[in-house]
Amino acid sequence: MNAAIRLPVEQAYASELQALARGDDRQKPAGWSLSPQAVLTYLLGGKAGDGTPVTPKYVGRRRLMETAVATLATDRALLLLGVPGTAKSWVSEHLAAAIMGDSTLIVQCTAGTDENQIRYGWNYAQLLAKGPSQEALVPTPLYRAMQTGKLCRLEELTRMGSDVQDTLITVLSEKMMPIPEFNTSIYAQRGFNIIATANNRDKGVNELSSALKRRFNVVVLPLPEDMAEEVAIVSKRVDEMAGGLDLPVPKNVGEEIARVLTIFRELRAGATADGKVTLKTPSGSLSTAEAIATMVGGLSQAAWFDSGKLGAEGLAASLVGAIVKDPVQDKAVLEEYLETVLKKRPDYAGYYAALNAAI
Amino acid sequence: MGHNDVAYFGIRHHGPGSADSLVQALQDLQPGAVLIEGPIDASALLPLLARPEMQPPVALLCYREEDPASTSFWPFAEFSPEYQAVLWAVDNKAALRFIDLPSPARFSEAAVEGAEKVDADEAKESSERDDVAPHRRDPIGTLARAAGYEDGESWWSDIIEQNPEPGPIFAAISDAMMTLRDGEGSIAEFEAQREAHMRLEIAAARKEFDGPIAVVCGAWHVPALQATHPQKNDQALLKGIARRKSTMTWAPWTGPRLALGYGYGAGVVAPGWCKHLWRTRGRRDAATLWLAMIAAVLRVKGHLVSTASLIEAERLARTLAAIRERPKPGFEELRDAAIAALFNGEALLWALVEAELLLGADVGEIPPDTPLAPLIEDLQRNQKAARLKPEALERELSVDLRSDSGLFRSTLLHRLNVLGVHWGKLTDAGRSRGTFRERWTLAWEPEYAVRLVENLIYGPTIEKAANGRLIQMIEAAATLDTLAVLVQGAITAGLSEASTAGLGALEARAARSSECLEILASMPPLADIIRYGEARKTETNRLSGLMERLIVEGAIALPYAARDLDEQAAATLASAMRKADEAIRLVEPGEDVLNGWRNGLAAVLEGSRATALLAGCAAHLLYEAGRLSAEAAARLLGRRLSPGTPVAEAAGFFEGFFSTAGQRLIYDEGLRGAVDSWLKSLDEDAFIAHLPLLRRVFSNLDSMERRRLIEAVLGRAARLPAGLTPTPDGGEAWRRHLERLGPLLTGGNGNG
Repeated sequence: MNAAIRLPVEQAYASELQALARGDDRQKPAGWSLSPQAVLTYLLGGKAGDGTPVTPKYVGRRRLMETAVATLATDRALLLLGVPGTAKSWVSEHLAAAIMGDSTLIVQCTAGTDENQIRYGWNYAQLLAKGPSQEALVPTPLYRAMQTGKLCRLEELTRMGSDVQDTLITVLSEKMMPIPEFNTSIYAQRGFNIIATANNRDKGVNELSSALKRRFNVVVLPLPEDMAEEVAIVSKRVDEMAGGLDLPVPKNVGEEIARVLTIFRELRAGATADGKVTLKTPSGSLSTAEAIATMVGGLSQAAWFDSGKLGAEGLAASLVGAIVKDPVQDKAVLEEYLETVLKKRPDYAGYYAALNAAI
Repeated sequence: MGHNDVAYFGIRHHGPGSADSLVQALQDLQPGAVLIEGPIDASALLPLLARPEMQPPVALLCYREEDPASTSFWPFAEFSPEYQAVLWAVDNKAALRFIDLPSPARFSEAAVEGAEKVDADEAKESSERDDVAPHRRDPIGTLARAAGYEDGESWWSDIIEQNPEPGPIFAAISDAMMTLRDGEGSIAEFEAQREAHMRLEIAAARKEFDGPIAVVCGAWHVPALQATHPQKNDQALLKGIARRKSTMTWAPWTGPRLALGYGYGAGVVAPGWCKHLWRTRGRRDAATLWLAMIAAVLRVKGHLVSTASLIEAERLARTLAAIRERPKPGFEELRDAAIAALFNGEALLWALVEAELLLGADVGEIPPDTPLAPLIEDLQRNQKAARLKPEALERELSVDLRSDSGLFRSTLLHRLNVLGVHWGKLTDAGRSRGTFRERWTLAWEPEYAVRLVENLIYGPTIEKAANGRLIQMIEAAATLDTLAVLVQGAITAGLSEASTAGLGALEARAARSSECLEILASMPPLADIIRYGEARKTETNRLSGLMERLIVEGAIALPYAARDLDEQAAATLASAMRKADEAIRLVEPGEDVLNGWRNGLAAVLEGSRATALLAGCAAHLLYEAGRLSAEAAARLLGRRLSPGTPVAEAAGFFEGFFSTAGQRLIYDEGLRGAVDSWLKSLDEDAFIAHLPLLRRVFSNLDSMERRRLIEAVLGRAARLPAGLTPTPDGGEAWRRHLERLGPLLTGGNGNG
């Protein structure tokens, strides 16, 4: 019995992958374990060649996934872009699992990531004992992916410094990595490629240099298009998180989720739900993940301070926090939204008053 | 009876793919006569299409002489199969004619169902009606969508790729249509009549011409035309169809208008894409060229697109096509690849270039000797109705907007002005609001006729053309205030479509704009429409809503906009603020909206970073509105002008307050006291530095008011201190000056 909290997806979905591989007689790009069409079936759901049902891993537009798979088939690197909570890492993991059967060659990029973690590092004891030698070299996931012709995943590419990002340029364009200490290079084997994910709305990220950006094909993963779908996602996550934090969930949580999400979606889309009034959009991303955080914040407030009553007053502070990221610009946006839209909706009267007070 | 000597070419209207196949098929068949789906009474005009001066897109216009608004259009683009068939026939000396019902039949049908289509778009498709099911309007597009294609042309070219012979393609299309139409119930009478008419004409042509006959018609009709029907039944069907004469001519057309009947985008005819397909037919690098066109548009818009990215985009498009199991990249593959490789994944950027690429900016040309221009005819009709004659000599015309005839005349002149035909010039523009009278100067110039013909691309009647042109201007308008002026123009000219479009654009733009100046500047024209709209019988509810929204937005934006401005920007904003305030008072909005505006002004006044000029201006507006009591205002002035305030700032505030309110000082003792004590507190240098400002502020008082102000300050029997005469004897003073200057200038003993 495996006690791991979560297994890599190639193990969790091993039976589906095997079934797909069995019934797959189409042409495969070099180094791929499935044909591009079978990879698409794995991602979007359907039936394997032998009739085994395949669950959908990504719910959304098919042509985005087609572009992603086609990109990897051209040996060009893929950059998945999107606000937090749009399944970027999820898609990247499943892509690597389906194409290579291995999603574990991964670099988590942070502000502290340096070149040694991207190219290769040194085992200093060995280095002192033997000088620069193969034994003293510590390969990184990228190094190993190049050597073995696998997919390397770079998570949150824009979080690491621009100078470190740019070490990827040679790797991507010439498919080789020089090791000046040995006066040699390693050459990527067929099948090698990179899937990077990055956040396009956050502040404090390092924009990709245009030289690097040009070496990626970019697929932007959108937020859920459908209100009902998003409400379901938020309700599920709020329930789960409240359970984890031992917070009681009041009865009216469903209604409040719908209201909060309406506000989020309207501001995000720049138009009211009925499409009649156009709105300005605030600078923040107002993602599904933030809606979840707002709701959990409200629940916590309700449980500890408002004797279990969840309402506009408790949610207002977190709502304002989510919407107003820029104290001048966003505040004007929210004020305008309150005055031109919420004021006229009787069932949002509580929100109108509470938000006005909280601004 | 066999049909072996008649070849049926079921085409897709405006489909470059079918145009290409058609030309090849005609070349193979070498028919003696080419019969095309189109109004039979316009056959005589067909050869004109092949004239070298005729540059498509052009359209065949048919209209009833007495009612040009009922015009039907048959547009032709370079890539239309019908157009290519005409070119082929003229080049190869084959007989050429239209075989559909004569054009008047279409008018009578339009009249029957006209009730709900009054405002519908005038651009009617060449052979099918707007309101029919999609699989009948564009059966090939429907087949393509069934096959998973968004773009019918890509499907067509893929099919052709697999079936290189043109002959079998048309046979295959005909088979497909047979299946589509199989088991359909009775079709609408009009459609049945059309098909009957075409059958009869084909039969007649078979008797008349030697050699094979080519029939070029919408794919949908092929099975019905091939089927055998007794001629008697067909003739019976056609009994009683309208045979009135209609007027016909060619008119220049535009790319965007070609797409109008369809809407452009996925799955429908996009002229830009079709033209590209046509121009690159038979070339292997069509996909590359399309990507290069995308890159060119992007570069013009200031985006960086490298050649290497184009290569990558093309590789991606090919792989996508392979994954979708298509023989070569089509429209969708190229779009998706461009988004991923050239647009950094931003689908929004695609939306930006989409219109430019897909619609194109082509404008057709017609030979100068083409007969009759419907706009000129419409003008003549309108002139008759308005009892106005075009005269070259200037003539005054006063129009009473309360009478129907006056309103009619004014509307006509306004509409002509929209079209750039300045037959009438409004002599009291700007002063006319609120009155029921307009004064015009009329003078007709011969060039106006030419200009009217140029306007034909916007519509066949003056009303429609003016609407079309104004809508185009509205789409191009960049700022809120220009939009507001355009909407005002649309409403004055009674152009309902343009004003609806303008209001929509205004609402969208108002929501996005946070440019305070723009918002404020858009208020006066809107207020004019709302306040004086009754004279024009306009529905103003929507406008009032919009105005209130603008007021709220302006009030929110104002305090931020008023911060830290330089002199020039502050002056501009102050003037916009005053005009906006005037406009707001004019429309008398709800109490809370008005309060919102005043709160905005108060925030400017209290804001620590607000520019002094604007703070002064806000204070004055609040004072006038009664939000600031006299004592409060005096206290405020005293504080803002007190010695502790930097002099430049105090002066700015002073100017803001008084630049339009000099008279106020005559009557308002409290204010006067505050000003007086400020002036007295200035030291000599500062006082001199501010003299120009004071002069500017008081310059809009006339001499009487100045006198009364002086009296008010110095008491009734005012005497200025000795030596300070308001009107000194200039002549005497000059003489003395000259006396002294003379010696200095001539080098005499000036200083001894």
